[in-house]
Parts: sequence; C-alpha cells; structure tokens
Amino acid sequence: MNEEQIKKTPLHDWHLEHDANMAVFGGYEMPLWYPSGAKREHIAVLKGAGIFDTSHMAVIMVEGPGALTLLQTCFTKNLETCIGKDKTPLVPGRCAYGIFLDDLGHVMDDAIASQVAPEIYMIVVNAGMGGQIARHLKDHAGMSDVAIYDLTDGVGKMDIQGPMSARILAEILREPETVFDRMVYFSFKGFFDENSPLADAVRLSDGTPVMLSRTGYTGEFGFEIFLNPDNIEHVWEIALKAGADFGLEICGLAARDSLRTGAMLSLSHQDIGPWPFINNPWSFTLPFNDDRTDFTKRFIGEEALKNIKKMEYTYPFAGFDLRKVSLGDSTVVTDSDGAEIGVVLTCVTEMAIGRVEGRIYSVASPDRPDGFNPKGLSCGFVKVTKKLSLGDTVELKDGRRTIKVVIVDDIRPDRTARKAIKNML
Amino acid sequence: MKELEELFLPDDVQYTETHEWARDDSGSVTVGITDYAQDQLGDIVFVELPEVGDIFEEGEEFGTLESVKAVSEICMPVSGEITAINELLEEAPELVNQEPYNNGWIIKVKPDNPDEINNLMTSEEYVEMLKGEE
Repeated sequence: MNEEQIKKTPLHDWHLEHDANMAVFGGYEMPLWYPSGAKREHIAVLKGAGIFDTSHMAVIMVEGPGALTLLQTCFTKNLETCIGKDKTPLVPGRCAYGIFLDDLGHVMDDAIASQVAPEIYMIVVNAGMGGQIARHLKDHAGMSDVAIYDLTDGVGKMDIQGPMSARILAEILREPETVFDRMVYFSFKGFFDENSPLADAVRLSDGTPVMLSRTGYTGEFGFEIFLNPDNIEHVWEIALKAGADFGLEICGLAARDSLRTGAMLSLSHQDIGPWPFINNPWSFTLPFNDDRTDFTKRFIGEEALKNIKKMEYTYPFAGFDLRKVSLGDSTVVTDSDGAEIGVVLTCVTEMAIGRVEGRIYSVASPDRPDGFNPKGLSCGFVKVTKKLSLGDTVELKDGRRTIKVVIVDDIRPDRTARKAIKNML
Repeated sequence: MKELEELFLPDDVQYTETHEWARDDSGSVTVGITDYAQDQLGDIVFVELPEVGDIFEEGEEFGTLESVKAVSEICMPVSGEITAINELLEEAPELVNQEPYNNGWIIKVKPDNPDEINNLMTSEEYVEMLKGEE
C-alpha cells in the first residue's frame, strides 16, 4: 500500500503531536499507544477511563420500508427477537451486534446495528469495510424500497470506556441526568447530524450534537460517541480536560486489542473470517431456535452453516504466565497427545489479570487478594479441528517456544460493561 | 513515536543492525537494546534471559523481549559466553524501556574475540542506517 492510499482520521495530526506510536490498521494510520504506554492505558480502562479515536470505523445508513427485511436477510442477528429475555424486536434507541455472512457462511464483517427510527438503521462496520458491506446490502436489496448510504469518513467517532466514563461525560453534557436516564447497555440517544430530529436528545454543554451509545469494544462500562468529524478535535480536547480528574488515559490500538481479547470479543478478519461462522464464542449472534436445532429466520449463509462438511471449533484460552506465541503459518495448537489440531487466531498478554491459587482475578476484581499485582496472562482464541471441553489443556507452539494454555469460558473477570448506569454516576 | 533527533544514542556503545547495543568494559561486553528498539516495541512486560555460561555465535538469538504487542528476539552483537544476566529485569522488565543503556542492560558477554566489537556500527553509522529505514 503506498502512502497516498493510507488514510488518516481527523485526529491524525493530534496523535502525532502527542507522540503516539503509529501503525497502519484497516487502511488507516492509527495510534498503537501514547507515551504512557499500552499497559497503563489498558489498566486505566479497568480502573478509571480511556479515550480512543475510532474514526477509522465505517458507518452505513439503511433507510426505507424495506430496511428491516434487508437486514434480516443479510445480518445474522434476528432483529425481530433480539431484545431481552422476552425476545422482543429491536426498537428505536436500541442496538444489536451481529455478523454479515456470505453465501458460504464465511464472515464478511461484524457490526453493530442501531435502530435510529422505525425505518432507519445505522450500521457500524470495521475500518475499510463500508464500501464492501454497502455493496453487499445493495446487491441483496433487489427491487425493495430501501436506500443505502456509505458514510465512510463522513462520521467522526471516539470511545470513552471505563468505570469513570459517565462521570466524565456528565461534566461535558447538557442535562446529563436526562441523557443517562434509563440508558441501558446497547442503547443510544441523540444523533451526529444537526438536522436529525434526534439531535436535541444529546448535546454537549456548548451545543454540539452527538450520538451517545452505550456500546464499546473493551468489555468495560462506557460509550461510543458519534459526531460530525469537524467537531471531533474540539470534543476530544474538552473530554480530555474533563477526564483529567478521573484518571482518563488516551489509548491506542494495542490497549484496545488486549482489552477486547480479555473481554472475549472477536477481531474481525482475525478471529472471525473466511471460514464458516459456527462453534465459536460469538454464535449467540446466530438466530438459533431454543433447542438449537434450526434457525428462526432465513439469512445469507444459513444453508452453508447447516451443511458444513469439515467442522472446526473456536475456543478462548488463557495461559499460566504472560508469555505469548507469535501468530504465523508455523504456529500450531497441539492436544495432550501431541497431535496438531489447529491454529492460533489471537494471542496477547492481558496485562491486568493473574492467577491466584488457580483462579483468575483482575486488578479491578472486588475480591482480589491483598497486594494483588499481576504480571499478566497470555490469552486469545484458537481454531481447532477437534471438539474440546472447558478446562482442557492444549499447547501452542511457534518457532521459538511452546506454551501450555487452558480452554476457558471467560478470560478477564468482573467486567463492568453491563453495570447499571445509575451505579456508575 | 520518537523522531530520530529525539533518540538517545550514546557514543560510548556500538550498534547492531538488529538494534542491540554493546559496550566494551575492558574485556567484558555489556549488551542491551537501543532507545529506537524500545520505542518501537512499546512496554516490555517480560524478558526471557539465557543462563550464565551459555555460549552463542554473533547474530544468534540469545533471548526474547515480550512487549504488549509481540515477542521479539534479541541477538548477540559478538560471539562469546554469557557471564552475567540482569536479574533486575525479572521483576522490572520496564527498565529496558526506561533506562535502556544503564539499568536496562540485558547480558554481559566474555567475547571470543575482543576485537569483534569493532565490527559494529558507531552511533553516527547507526543513525544513518535508521534514516534509511524511514
């Protein structure tokens, strides 16, 4: 990729001025970490808060009478039954996480769909994916009455994540009590477009309209903020100023990667990708019926998922110390008999967790032992050809070392993402 | 990310193409990684060290640095025998980031050939090489 093709977010110059280590991710030159370092950034999101530039992510609007039908066909999550225990439909103000599959049942990308109004949906996909997913939606729209707009680079986005996030935002929002009232996990208020009827629902003290969404990619309590890209540098600065008293750290992609892995969230094109999307920690996004014998709706990729010849399984793992293996073609997973059974998708050091007498604690665990000061644990995801059980031990081998890890159903304990907002103010 | 002119590249050490430094202390060679390398790697969270008495050839991997992001090898600037390892790094690997040329040293080596260190780059030559990498 030559220099002209590498994109920049509106905060790019700000990152350089603040000595970020930069690298290309998803076609954008993005900060990996700032001078305080990825470890400090990671821990800040567990104990205080972190702010992330996420303007590289792409927004697609799907609008019209045919919008719901189109999304039901293209998006794995069943939007008619995705809210709560009673399985009620998505409604304006709520969000759902799901996957865009192709006909082979392979992952094109993952996304959060937010219902803005009865026939208006906002879809947030990964960096560089706006064009491809918008085309995919148009290809399947046929003659139905639906309009698809790829807003790539037209919407600014920043995330404030961590237990102090709401307190920081309360300093810069107009009428924060009203904004935060009944703002449940995976819901949003406001909109980034001044001309939207929703814009008045969330404004900063200076009048800037933002879409404030209780979503994120860290596993911790926090918000994604969508706004006009012309306003982002200004809002970023006032958020940093407001956050100074609450331990707010500016965070890069390295901390984002270790935080999301610890929270068992997938990285698109790495943990999910061009292979059948099944038997993985994210299959809750598939529209299974109660006994998982069939699907509750028809969708692209469905037939392929029902007819898989060679079954593979993706599992989360946690190690016994912080040592990692490097990803690559020569890195393999072996079972207790030494047989090669698969590949390593992600392997990072989660710097805020450690084992004490066999149990994993985080630096934010309320019941962590006195003086708990972990060095971190390796963790991530493996994709194997053999069905494994919780607690099974496997070995990961790269050209350099072999590490023993255990298959788990959770990595970083005591995460805050789903805490009630009234307890976080 | 540090700009070239912000890097600390002292004159009293020699440099390798793989971003280690080596300092001749009257026959014993102390080895660490450069300010450029630690800045590129980010937070070092673990240093895997060899044993005292291990023997390595010039260019051979003698240990690893585990950053938040990746695992990187550390290579011998000269052939020889490990005479000391920096045990402080076990509890405080961040010293490699904070003080790469003093408390963040990694190993001491008894070189097979005391003149081999002179094959390495001077700080000026290392700066020229880094300019080429940009």
